[in-house]
Amino acid sequence: MIGWMRHHKHALGTALHRLRIQAFTALLTALAMGVAISLPSGLYLGLENLSRVAGELPAQPEISLFLDAGASPEQKQAIATRLKQPDIAQARFVPKDEALATLSASQDLADITAGLTENPLPDAWIVRPQATSRDALVRISDGLRKMPGIAETHLDSQWAERLQAALAIGHTGVWLLAGLFAIALIAISGNAIRAQVLARRDEILVSRLIGATDRHIRRPFLYLGALQGLFGGLAAGGVLAVAGTILREPVEHLAVLYGSTFHLLPPDGAEIAMVLGLTTLFGWLGAWLSVTRSLHQVEATR
Amino acid sequence: MISFNQVTKRYPGGHEALSNVSLAIEQGELVFLTGHSGAGKSTLLKLIAAIERPTSGVVSVSGQNVSRLSRRAVPYLRRNIGLVFQDHKLLFDRSVIDNVVLPLDIAGFDRRESLKRARAVIDKVGLLNREKANPVSLSGGEQQRLCIARALVSRPALLLADEPTGNLDAGYAADIMAMFRDFHQVGTTLVIATHDERAITALGGRTLHLDHGRIGEVPA
Repeated sequence: MIGWMRHHKHALGTALHRLRIQAFTALLTALAMGVAISLPSGLYLGLENLSRVAGELPAQPEISLFLDAGASPEQKQAIATRLKQPDIAQARFVPKDEALATLSASQDLADITAGLTENPLPDAWIVRPQATSRDALVRISDGLRKMPGIAETHLDSQWAERLQAALAIGHTGVWLLAGLFAIALIAISGNAIRAQVLARRDEILVSRLIGATDRHIRRPFLYLGALQGLFGGLAAGGVLAVAGTILREPVEHLAVLYGSTFHLLPPDGAEIAMVLGLTTLFGWLGAWLSVTRSLHQVEATR
Repeated sequence: MISFNQVTKRYPGGHEALSNVSLAIEQGELVFLTGHSGAGKSTLLKLIAAIERPTSGVVSVSGQNVSRLSRRAVPYLRRNIGLVFQDHKLLFDRSVIDNVVLPLDIAGFDRRESLKRARAVIDKVGLLNREKANPVSLSGGEQQRLCIARALVSRPALLLADEPTGNLDAGYAADIMAMFRDFHQVGTTLVIATHDERAITALGGRTLHLDHGRIGEVPA
């Protein structure tokens, strides 16, 4: 156990030493990794922020029914009866006077409503169907529109729903992109480690001649790959922090124009830990693939 | 300690370096391997350390069949063998002491203990005042002594040396042979490939002569 720890301590020390004496190369590799990782993680952050905006919107689908101004009391009664059926979860009648009162209560529109001589608003129903699927909503909405006395129906959740669908595609895209860049990360790490193995050919051959196991030879390279991955993750964090600083002001300005107090949120601790953990893992994996292959090559050309 | 039973080594391309060689070396023996270059001296040493595998026959070291050793087991065999190479195989990216400490690092010794042992061995080969130097700055004889120090630091029971005095002048060669005699006296088994006739007469011991891959004992 003590010997095992000593081996690992020694390997980590060796890896750190190699990073230090090749600081510039290590920096370039970390930057290449950082830029690669910052793309999917940046997109992820952007989507997370966008989802937060979308989350504030009513996602619960509602249908607004606007009655014909000249609808007869019988027609109104028929509509009310229809809305009591089991496919409707909830229906609320909004008389036109109440609608006007609500409108007048809102600061900006008070001036406009005050100038009106008569109420131009129709009576309305706000209907929440049981079903939430797009098809069912459209079917109910279309069915209601055909009823006599109804002027218009409006599916309120339409655009919020579209946004949700777009975000879902975005999230899938992020995972796809993350997968691709994970492969890129393995390739970058593998390539950097291959160069290291070839540069240390003599040391590897001599070490094997004096009794080093494959594991012993591989270990510092694996640590090197993992550290390189970790630094790549940190570099990605740097890239995103800079991008966030640049974007913060214009985004907040845009939010103000929409009357929102929206702020860009940085990733939380768990997300940062996950990205760093994954980059370390993929750096290690690239190193493992590369060093295992290169070791056999080095010995074959002895 | 070492036995060869009808060992043949043929390299890819058809060159037969050893032909049907059988021999036995006892523990604590001092054995010289002689023969013209290309006679198979290096190949014989490489077979003992499992650097090469025989084409046929059995090589065994301390009762272990080396010709059948798995890749995983080879390092543990080599930890008990000190290897001295004609071309030294030193690492020039580290100091003298770091070269000597390498086998102990590999075996997982405590660093402080390793450095103490390395220093003692470096003292024995007379390089103590050069411990921080880069091996590049050492002369040929010093590099050879450094290589010997690295071979001895893990206190192996068996030392294999391939032309240890090959390109040294007579004075250095005598120094190194004197060092080998000391190790022989403390019980180390030594197999030395050389064509330094003076050394053989000075040290005594058994001489095995190789001629085109065939072996014959030279009467002392």
